[in-house]
Amino acid sequence: MNPQLNAILSQLKEPLFAGLATSAFSVLFGLGSADVILASGGSALGWAVLQVMPASDFPAFATFFAALAAGLYAEIAARVRRRPATLYMIASIIPLVPGGGMYYTMLSSLEGNTFRSVELGLSTIMTAFAIAAGLAISNAFARMAFSSTIYSILKKGKIFQKPGRH
Amino acid sequence: MLSEDLLLFAADASRLMLESGGETYRAEYIAMGIIISQGGTEAECFATSTGLMLSFSGEDGKVRSVVRRIKRHGMNLEKVYRIDNMVRHLLLGDIDIDEAARQLDEVERMKDRPVWLRMIASAFGAGWFSLLFKGKTVDALTAATMGALLSILIYEFQRHKLPGFLSSFAGGAFAALASLVAAYAGLAINTDAVIIGVIMLLVPGVAITNAIRDTIAGDLIAGLARGVDAVITAAAISAGAGGAYALWQLLLGGRA
Repeated sequence: MNPQLNAILSQLKEPLFAGLATSAFSVLFGLGSADVILASGGSALGWAVLQVMPASDFPAFATFFAALAAGLYAEIAARVRRRPATLYMIASIIPLVPGGGMYYTMLSSLEGNTFRSVELGLSTIMTAFAIAAGLAISNAFARMAFSSTIYSILKKGKIFQKPGRH
Repeated sequence: MLSEDLLLFAADASRLMLESGGETYRAEYIAMGIIISQGGTEAECFATSTGLMLSFSGEDGKVRSVVRRIKRHGMNLEKVYRIDNMVRHLLLGDIDIDEAARQLDEVERMKDRPVWLRMIASAFGAGWFSLLFKGKTVDALTAATMGALLSILIYEFQRHKLPGFLSSFAGGAFAALASLVAAYAGLAINTDAVIIGVIMLLVPGVAITNAIRDTIAGDLIAGLARGVDAVITAAAISAGAGGAYALWQLLLGGRA
């Protein structure tokens, strides 16, 4: 086969695995079939972004952009499907979340390897922070771009109104 | 609807939202939204992942409040959607409060995924994850088998209402021990990829991320509670896995 094509295909392999893994987890998280497919697309996109980000001294940086991409995708999917974005967000970030990091942090502290545990623990928190920040920023973008969410109805309407005395 | 009934209904909707894995702010908003939609004022809700407090002032001017404890923690995003949608329609005036109560009852009685589907999904999840973490095909097949078995184990623990710590501990021990046995039997090339693939079914990666999302959103107590829960779960899994490693070393004198 053409080596260039082969290289592209091998680049696509990991996002594909991430998407498929997410589809399985979305079923466990109770999503319906159309949402499972949408959420898997989001996680494949997130992983692809993670992959193409250049290596830097800040590993959480790539995770941040991956989560930002997944978050924006989730917001758009949510508008299309008229469902809360969190459905797609939670599922799309599954391959990115530092589950393994938490496990290895605790395992190394159990093995008495304190330095490794602290190192892993900090990078785990950093990764989780990067994802949470990416999602928060994509949510902020979405709120600027679209307006008719339940929360804006609440805000414009009555929930923050000064209560009157009876 | 009586003010007392309205209060209990709103608290139940909020509780169900938290039990289904909805965000803290969403649980607070839906409780307040339900009350506001029925003309209640001064609605305030304070929710954490372990409990919520809700109070409002009814049409007679009396302040009512209720506390709900949250003991179950699951992830069912379809329920999150249904509750959110119900409150949205209630606020828009598309449905009345009785219809909303009927819909909430429906959500409450929604069944979880059947065991066979959870088995298949867990198998695929573990298998694809072990491929993603640089495992070979044989590792993925091993991880998938173990994932399916692990899902039965978790289901049995849940069915007997055993504490979450115990099921995480047993799950971690099972994942590690089964991977070691598989490696010993020559069914795994990259043992780490097998273990991490299986353990992805247990680890609280989403929980720690949600903890930080809550914290960023300003729900500091809720974020802390979720964070502690995630750390304890991770500790339980590693304790189980570490125990399994130690046992294996005792049995085989360090051959792993």
